[in-house]
Amino acid sequence: MFKVVFLTQWKWSRTAVLAGVFAAFALPILSVQQAGVFAGPTRELPGHARRLLDTVQTWGIAYPLLALVLGVLVAVTAWAADHRGRHVYALALPVPRWHYVLLRFAAGGALLLAPLAALGVGALLASASVTLPPGLQAYPVALTVRFGLALLVAYAVIFSISAGTPRTAAIVLSAIAFLVAVEVLAAAVHAPIDPLQFLGSRVLSGPFGIFTGRWMLIDV
Amino acid sequence: MSNAIETRGLVYRAGKSFEIRDLALNVPAGSMYGFLGPNGAGKTTTIRLLLGLLRPVSGAITVLDRRIPREAPRVLQRTGYVPESPHLYSTLTVAEAIAFHHAFYPGWDQGWADELLAMFGLVRDRRLARLSKGEMGKLMMLLALAQRPELLVLDEPTDGLDPVVRRDVLSALLEYVAQHNATVFISSHLVHELERICDWVGVMDRGRLVAELPMHSFKSGIKRIRLSDPPALPGDTPFVLLNREPAEGSVETWVVRGWQPPMAQYFEGVGASVREVVDLDLEEGFVELLRTFRVNPD
Repeated sequence: MFKVVFLTQWKWSRTAVLAGVFAAFALPILSVQQAGVFAGPTRELPGHARRLLDTVQTWGIAYPLLALVLGVLVAVTAWAADHRGRHVYALALPVPRWHYVLLRFAAGGALLLAPLAALGVGALLASASVTLPPGLQAYPVALTVRFGLALLVAYAVIFSISAGTPRTAAIVLSAIAFLVAVEVLAAAVHAPIDPLQFLGSRVLSGPFGIFTGRWMLIDV
Repeated sequence: MSNAIETRGLVYRAGKSFEIRDLALNVPAGSMYGFLGPNGAGKTTTIRLLLGLLRPVSGAITVLDRRIPREAPRVLQRTGYVPESPHLYSTLTVAEAIAFHHAFYPGWDQGWADELLAMFGLVRDRRLARLSKGEMGKLMMLLALAQRPELLVLDEPTDGLDPVVRRDVLSALLEYVAQHNATVFISSHLVHELERICDWVGVMDRGRLVAELPMHSFKSGIKRIRLSDPPALPGDTPFVLLNREPAEGSVETWVVRGWQPPMAQYFEGVGASVREVVDLDLEEGFVELLRTFRVNPD
């Protein structure tokens, strides 16, 4: 069963996954190539370590973005075909609902291992290709693990939302609209409440926190 | 005879405007059960309840001796289902759709699937999105039959198909039933089609079961009778009076259910005389039943 579910998932999301593999492999190499200007024979010149870190940090924004986009695309494609058929086919298959959901989740998750592996290989190659100034180190494994966790969070959250019916989506959107309305009203009457900021701080201090902060292949 | 499908006191609500109420179905094992009803009667909803795709508010559903929805996956393993509208993944090819379906059914018969594929003239590498309505109908029937089911639940399986495709699909179905003694629960609004192939009939309207009886009783029991000098008030009749309409002069036309020839004595007793007794076909009987039900739902 897993094989056929995996093959359908591959068919639906292969463009995104292949683009993701290419991007994940290229990102660390490109970032190090650009930063390499400040490494190598001139690595001990004053200020070069700082500029190298700045370059790597600039490229670092792309990792969580890539994880987010890939997670969202694979999760959405996992359910798109079932949504079109109003889930009748999936529900009529002779497996418990949880089992089918697990198969779909595992199939998408397995496909996301490809860009994760590509990033790992790219990061290792990039780290090996550069001579770092004293005091700096490469963290290819840590970056790969973090990318993997970010992929998992994005994929899992969007997978669970898109598994729901349009009614579920309507409830989620209504809740957000309600918060926005409260925010606007509170601002209009200068009330000391800020539900969006409250929600944002809760979300970003939870699992979504992985998308924030510095994503550094090379750091002190 | 045991029942392949049985429901008791089934209640389901979809919003405020539609409700299935106290549905008590009895589909005998090995029968071809035609499930009739106008559009919006609740046929598709009932089928989805029977297969565990929807959950009832209350009531009991037993299919192939197992409780639904609790044991739905076990029942679905033994059931071939053709839904009202195509539900398969349209980006797959015919071969991929068959392989996908095959993986979920332990009783899958690949040899027969290949035979049906050739018989229906389906092209293996054509994407489902590019199939015509007839080809899609054939593919759905292929998938339902090749899993060797004990029960086939078919929701308007020939709706919109041309006569040639309809004949191909129905012959494959009838051949399978003849060989395996499977139970078939088939919903349709093509009354004449069901009249030809079914031995039981259930009629549904506005979420309620109007009638359920063997096809021969349905066909032979509903008559149109032309009467002279009918009584103004029929009183206690030995049959069910579905409808009465004045004709010319003192002549009236009555539509009755449960008619037997000895019942003509009733008319002699009330001073009326029977001029003509006409058999109604299934469609006419169906229309009269619905008309009566809508006038007097209880």
